[in-house]
Amino acid sequence: MSIAKASGFEALEKLMSTEPPVFLAPSSISEVARTASRYLFEKLKPFNPKSPFDQLLVDGFDAEQIWQQIDLQCQPLLSSLRQDVKRFAQNPKEIRKLGNLALKVSHEDDDVDEMDMDDDELEATESEGDEEEEGDEEEEEEDDVEEDEEEKSGDHEGIEDKFFKIKELEEFLEEGEAEEYGLDYKNKKGVAKRKKQNLRDDDDDEEDEDEEEDDDEFGAFAGGDDEEADKLGKARYDDFFGGKKKETKMKLKDLSEDDEAELENQGDVKLSTHEKDRIKLQSKIEQMEKANLDPKHWTMQGEITAAKRPKNSALEVDLDFEHNTRPAPVITEEVTASLEDLIKSRIIEARFDDVQRAPSMPTKAKREAKEMDDSKSKKGLAEVYEDEYVRQANPAFAPTTFSDELKKEASILFKRLCLKLDSLSHFHFTPKPVIEEMSIQTNVPAIAMEEVAPVAVSDAAMLAPEEIFSGKGDIKDESELTQEERKRRRAKKKRKFKAESAKDPVKKARDDTTENPKTGIFLCSYMTFRLLRVFEIRK
Amino acid sequence: MFPSKPFPKTLIRHQHQTSSFIASPTLKHSRKIKMLRRNIRLRKEYLYRKNLEGDERVQYEKKMKIREALQEGKPIPTELRNEEARLRQEIDLEDQNTAVPRSHIDDEYANATENDPKILLTTSRNPSAPLIRFTKELKFAFPNSQRINRGSQVISEIIETARSHDFTDVILVHEHRGVPDGLIISHLPFGPTAYFGLLNVVTRHDISTKKAIGKMPEQYPHLIFNNFTTQMGQRVANVLKHVFPAPKVDARRIVTFSNESDYISFRNHVYDKGEGGPKSIELKEVGPRFELRLYQVKLGTVEQNEAETEWVIRPYMNTAKKRKFIGE
Repeated sequence: MSIAKASGFEALEKLMSTEPPVFLAPSSISEVARTASRYLFEKLKPFNPKSPFDQLLVDGFDAEQIWQQIDLQCQPLLSSLRQDVKRFAQNPKEIRKLGNLALKVSHEDDDVDEMDMDDDELEATESEGDEEEEGDEEEEEEDDVEEDEEEKSGDHEGIEDKFFKIKELEEFLEEGEAEEYGLDYKNKKGVAKRKKQNLRDDDDDEEDEDEEEDDDEFGAFAGGDDEEADKLGKARYDDFFGGKKKETKMKLKDLSEDDEAELENQGDVKLSTHEKDRIKLQSKIEQMEKANLDPKHWTMQGEITAAKRPKNSALEVDLDFEHNTRPAPVITEEVTASLEDLIKSRIIEARFDDVQRAPSMPTKAKREAKEMDDSKSKKGLAEVYEDEYVRQANPAFAPTTFSDELKKEASILFKRLCLKLDSLSHFHFTPKPVIEEMSIQTNVPAIAMEEVAPVAVSDAAMLAPEEIFSGKGDIKDESELTQEERKRRRAKKKRKFKAESAKDPVKKARDDTTENPKTGIFLCSYMTFRLLRVFEIRK
Repeated sequence: MFPSKPFPKTLIRHQHQTSSFIASPTLKHSRKIKMLRRNIRLRKEYLYRKNLEGDERVQYEKKMKIREALQEGKPIPTELRNEEARLRQEIDLEDQNTAVPRSHIDDEYANATENDPKILLTTSRNPSAPLIRFTKELKFAFPNSQRINRGSQVISEIIETARSHDFTDVILVHEHRGVPDGLIISHLPFGPTAYFGLLNVVTRHDISTKKAIGKMPEQYPHLIFNNFTTQMGQRVANVLKHVFPAPKVDARRIVTFSNESDYISFRNHVYDKGEGGPKSIELKEVGPRFELRLYQVKLGTVEQNEAETEWVIRPYMNTAKKRKFIGE
């Protein structure tokens, strides 16, 4: 091991002593680099108990594989390294707690690192690495790791154990606050920071800046809110993510500027909280007043035509208005699936809404079952033959049979029906000529004619009034007559009466009253009584 | 009394001046006249029955009241006392046909169930190729249908020829830039016309090529109507139902009309009993699929512009969103 160590150390020294251009060209330096890297790997091994490699396998492996082995070894260490570095950045005194040897080593390494800084920056950006480059990077990493490990071992405090470290907690909290409030403030401890930066890898630069600013904020809180507010407003992208080549220079510049700014602020009169609030409010009010004076945004201008708003601006605004109709259904798979389920259930139940055929009416009438007449036929057989012959020979002379009569009746009924229907439907309908029939009608109440035993008595007469009336000429009521008319009528009546009375001589009235006055009265009264009764019935 | 000679020809001519025919009465001519007269007579009958409907409905309602009162044992309402005897007599004499008052609406489909429907399919003027394809698909979807080219025929001509050839329905399909967007189903003798808008149309041609999609069975299908609960819904269901003939009991084809918030989905499936017992069924979708949206129902055929509108959509009413006319 010691021999190996020695050779390893020698190899390292040799590498360090060689000129940079030698690395770029392939030469025997590769062997040296390999031994150096193996040496460093062994050194690192105790700090990483979980590593899968006991030794760095170098023989026969190409650059990529060697690099991956180293990477595997170093990855877990990097995060712990970062934390340690942060811790040390805050309390540089702890570095001094480490043994003198460590300090020396760190100083040497600082120099080395400063020298190699530029190279490293270039190399870090390149994706591929030659073995020489790897060697350099390894060196750097391993140097950092060594330093941090030593620093870690120097820390001893009562509360802390390997799980909980107050420093780390504070760092974490500050990081969080920095993210919330913005990161544009610097610490007075800038000088120490520069050194810390130089120690770190290029890849970690951005994070370094954040950590730096964390520490700055911690210091700045003690200073005052004013400075913070100003710095917040000035946060810029370049502060965090400046150009790779000019990074260190930029950082240096920023540091110097902010230091100056801080110094200036601290030179002004310190404002009270009330005054700070007032200043804030005033700035807000000014902003709002300015907004009011400016012309309004087109969405707030009421009715707007396309010409008055910028092109395609309506697409960006979320337009929302009420629709009065239900939107058309979107046919998704779920809808289809539900429909199909419905159909399947209906099929299983066999419950369909088909058209039901109506039972059709029979087109042919049923064959009439002719009833056989049992009674003896009235006609003899000869007469039957006779009738048949007559019908065949002279259809006109043949007497009509029962079926013929039925047919006649049917045809008459049908003709009547057709007549009625035609009268309903035809535009030009000429009714059939009426055949006059003669029949005698008496003026007897209708029901008397129809029923044998009339249940009710009816007034309706069979004959019309004009058929009953037997008068002649113009009929006049008594009130319509003129005086002469009246005289004429009276004279006529008298003549008639005289003619009649001339035929039947008038009987003289008998003198019955003297004989029996009582009976006469009784008779008279009886007669009147009877007459009254008759009249009542008549009514 | 009756003239022994038949009526002179001049008289006949006078009678037929209303028609546009010329010349002497031939047999064909007289048949046309008969058809014309028959149509006129039927229309008058129809209008007369429609007039009577109002009175009939009133009578029917009175009879209902009396019947209820008798059943429940309550006294008959006072306004019906005078007519009660007569109405009771009529109630006793009623049978199932006369009990329910028949409306002219029912009369439109009275004879529809006796024969299979015969459908004439055509398009609007100058149809595009996709529309023609869609119409051909509909020809397979509706059994017993025929497709004709529209050409430059006027609607009234089409309806007249359809009537004379005893078609029962005429279906017109309209489009917008190749996408079918309108369907008009007109029942023929004088029947109602339903106007639909089509949405979300997926044609068989869209799905895949002719070979891949295979043939469609042209069996008379079973029908499923889902969620047609209101009176208007029943009416629409009737219109759509009578476009199809009565199927056999074991038919394998199913046509579904499913209503959801006034949008009717049309689906055409063929089913097979699956392997897993009687409860499993394999459905295969066949034929075009679209949504129908009813916007008008008219009580006349398509050509009758002055026909009464039974129902028309009102999309700009403030409560349009809340109202559902066909279902629920």
